[in-house]
Amino acid sequence: MFNDLFFRLRSLFRRDTVESEMDTELRFHFDQQVEKYIKFGLTREEARRHARLDFGGHEQLKEEIRDARGVNLIESLFQDIRYSLRIFRRTPVITGVAILSLALGIGANTAIFSLIDSVMLRLLPVQKPEELVQLLRANFSGTGGGTSFTNPLWEQVRDHQDVFSSTFAWGENRFDLAQGGAVQNVNGIFASGDYFDTLGVRPVAGRLITPADDRRGCPAVAVLSYGFWQDHFGASPSAIGSTISLSNHPFQIIGVSSPGFYGVEVGSKFDVAIPICSADVFDGKDSRLDQRSWWWLRIMGRVKPGISRDQLKARLGLLSPQIFAGALPKNWDEKGQARFLQLTLVAAPAATGVSYVRREFGQPLNILMGVVGLVLLIACANIASLMLARAAARHKEIAVRKALGASRARLIRQLLTECVLLSTAGAALGLFFARWGSSLLVRYISTNDDKVFLDQTFDWRILSFTAAAAVFTGLLFGVLPAFRSTRGSLTSAMKGSQTADAESRTKFRPGKWIVASQVALSLVLLVASGLFLRSLVKLVTMDVGFDRNNVLLVRADLHTAKVAPEQQPAMFEDIENRLRSVPGVVSSSRSVLTPVSNRMWNRILQVDTPTPPKGDDALANFNFISPGYFETLRTPLLAGRNFNGSDTKTSAQVAIVNETLARRFFPDSNPVGKFFRVEPEPGQPAPPIQIVGLVKDAKYDSLREDNSVTAYFPVTQVREHAEVQSYELRTAMRPSALILPVQDAVASVSKAIPLEFGTLAQQVDDSLVQERLLATLSSFFGGLALLLAMIGLYGALSYLVAQRQPEFGIRMALGAPKGSILRLVMRDVVIVLAGGLTAGACLALATVGVLQKMLFGLAPHDTFTFVAAIGVLSAVAVAAGYLPARRATRFDPMVALRYE
Amino acid sequence: MANKRIELPQGTLDLLILRTLALEPQHGWAISERIQQISSDVLLIRQGSLYPALHRLERRGWIKAKWGTSENNRRAKYYELTKTGRKQLELEKDTWKKLAVAVAQILETA
Repeated sequence: MFNDLFFRLRSLFRRDTVESEMDTELRFHFDQQVEKYIKFGLTREEARRHARLDFGGHEQLKEEIRDARGVNLIESLFQDIRYSLRIFRRTPVITGVAILSLALGIGANTAIFSLIDSVMLRLLPVQKPEELVQLLRANFSGTGGGTSFTNPLWEQVRDHQDVFSSTFAWGENRFDLAQGGAVQNVNGIFASGDYFDTLGVRPVAGRLITPADDRRGCPAVAVLSYGFWQDHFGASPSAIGSTISLSNHPFQIIGVSSPGFYGVEVGSKFDVAIPICSADVFDGKDSRLDQRSWWWLRIMGRVKPGISRDQLKARLGLLSPQIFAGALPKNWDEKGQARFLQLTLVAAPAATGVSYVRREFGQPLNILMGVVGLVLLIACANIASLMLARAAARHKEIAVRKALGASRARLIRQLLTECVLLSTAGAALGLFFARWGSSLLVRYISTNDDKVFLDQTFDWRILSFTAAAAVFTGLLFGVLPAFRSTRGSLTSAMKGSQTADAESRTKFRPGKWIVASQVALSLVLLVASGLFLRSLVKLVTMDVGFDRNNVLLVRADLHTAKVAPEQQPAMFEDIENRLRSVPGVVSSSRSVLTPVSNRMWNRILQVDTPTPPKGDDALANFNFISPGYFETLRTPLLAGRNFNGSDTKTSAQVAIVNETLARRFFPDSNPVGKFFRVEPEPGQPAPPIQIVGLVKDAKYDSLREDNSVTAYFPVTQVREHAEVQSYELRTAMRPSALILPVQDAVASVSKAIPLEFGTLAQQVDDSLVQERLLATLSSFFGGLALLLAMIGLYGALSYLVAQRQPEFGIRMALGAPKGSILRLVMRDVVIVLAGGLTAGACLALATVGVLQKMLFGLAPHDTFTFVAAIGVLSAVAVAAGYLPARRATRFDPMVALRYE
Repeated sequence: MANKRIELPQGTLDLLILRTLALEPQHGWAISERIQQISSDVLLIRQGSLYPALHRLERRGWIKAKWGTSENNRRAKYYELTKTGRKQLELEKDTWKKLAVAVAQILETA
């Protein structure tokens, strides 16, 4: 066996020219030395012996020369790699498990990091992105940073600024491609004339929007994005000059922007861009172009070279009064106008663009990065204990190599090469997982309403992250085993004994530490995932005040359908009547808003009580509904009456309020029959509105909100434009089965009406994307961590049991009952577990505070979660430990003794 | 005989090798013999340090190796000084002299 090993090791050292030259050189020296000794009068035999003594270890010298030559580094690297591969082939299962767990760990890290990269770190793919700034409006104290502007404000900025070499504004808007019927939404932007030029975007066909296209009364022209041009026009050049219908208005296509440009909003991509001036076409006479309180544009600029940040700030501060005075909303009350005039412009760096996704998912992504980081650590710990066990098994081989002249540094290098090789393989596989995982994640955070788009090409940053992760993990799980296994004396190893009880006990100690730290880290992950899961469960099972199941929502847009405003109420009602008789509809209603829809309508209420609520406390959320609304959504009416046919446009104004509103405005009395007013605009009348009914609280804007103060009004009494209304249809069937009959029913009124379909359940679900993302992923990774830790524990214990097999044999031969052997092993499990759990609990208590904001309905130090996590972990650990422990009791004492 | 020999301090071996090769190209054995002779057997160069040093100097480009034939007509590897090696030798000589003077000064005055 020794010969075999010796032979294998020797054959490793490739004998190329350098090697043979080295031999020749040393042989020459040796012979010269022998000659010299012979001249001194020694016999040839004695001379050779002396010379050999002078020489010391021949192989060792050669190894030192190889090191000195430096080429050795590369050469031995190749040797190490070849040798490692051979070892891997001999232990395919261990290698497979190691690579797979690394691939999962590194893949998860790369996936999350690539999202962080594309959402937060990546510069916009435009010319000199670092010069771009976004304009914000700050109030006098410098706090707050609204990003939206009105068109009159934008025109003031455009015409009076002198700090930007060029500047542009844009506003996002959905457009419907279909002309009536089910909507086919595309992402559009209103772009100012300098939009493309400032960003340095070039056309691939036709031309882009220029300042000449962005003048009042401009012709309707559109620029397509490259992707949209490909998908919808097959990249045909004939698309240029043709017409596209955007929300029922024809636009002439003038060009296509370059590929790789998706707009400045990270997280979505634009399909069509039209000049700001064409907003006129959609709005009619109350165009948003002249509205001084319609905040729909955002502004960016390219700072003139040579202007410092301080200069920019100072100059913007000077310009602000004039700009805001020029766009003052004259219909605001005095206080509002004064506040408006105190606003100032400030600039924020915008090299990475702007992003809704960044705001929404920035923190969850950072948390997930921490989670996957922990998973990778646990995977590393796992492989470290694998390596440790294997290194112990290779004890003899290492001793032989040492005896043959390998230095300790050389051996450590060999072992580390194995580890880095493992982690490199893991990283390569991990990149595939990451690719797949990150696109899965992007799909996961997309909702019906917000399709998230991220440029997910892997850039240098992601690749270097993965490479760094590979090297780092390789060293992390390799260093300890490498140093441990190359220590120790030669002779005891050469003797071939691996017993000596004391020695094997100390050898297991690092294994215990590793497993204990795995337990600790797993506990942190389990606690985090438990907290997220419980938050999500609380959100999902919470009583929201309406029944979200089996309700189809249909949004009908009579504005885009170009129905005259005075005909709209009748048409909305006509449609409602027809939908009521669609087969399968149990009950139906219509409303201006639907619950948790991201749309709000709120105003300040006034009451004649002695202590009316003030300021924001007096703000109430509004909805306008038909009589069937509460029945369809199953929100119980608690007192008073529902709306009915006698509540018309001309009858006395009435309202139904929810419990929270009643409590806030009429704390000690029955609200039904009481009156309130809606705070009017200056100079407008404010008729009293009588409360006729009281309903149970229901969520209005978000499931996370505290109870909403809500007032419902008859949809017949809506005073402002409500040109888009929703129908709620409760059915006993699958809601989507109603879509076709509903389309037919609406088409019988008018074929031009755009319809948007969705279910109430989906709408509620979509509002929980963030929570669901965190709960799902952290549970997945928590489970993975648990699995890895258990494999680690099982492996470490199996190793320990195998090592102590002779000892157990003797104990049993001396009459120790099986139970005592079992206890012996399980004691180790309990010690490791207790240590790990204690450390993990402390770590978790210290860190879960950062999750506070993401949780719902429970504190980060939630006792139940902690106890449950500890329970699960203990149960699984004891199970993982029991298997090897039982194996220890199954040994035949004779076999074990014979070994000794 | 052995006890009057001195082990070389770290780094001086390079200097001695360079100095020895400044005269003429030599093979390893001759280098060690010459150093031993000139130092009147005080300095003993072990093969274990000589050859790694030679290969290290070769890697640094201060000396280069050529195969030649020895006095007894055998193939031997001859080392010779390169241009940078010569510069290095001057540099190290200077440093050594300064060091020696400084050490001597301290030893005599302190």
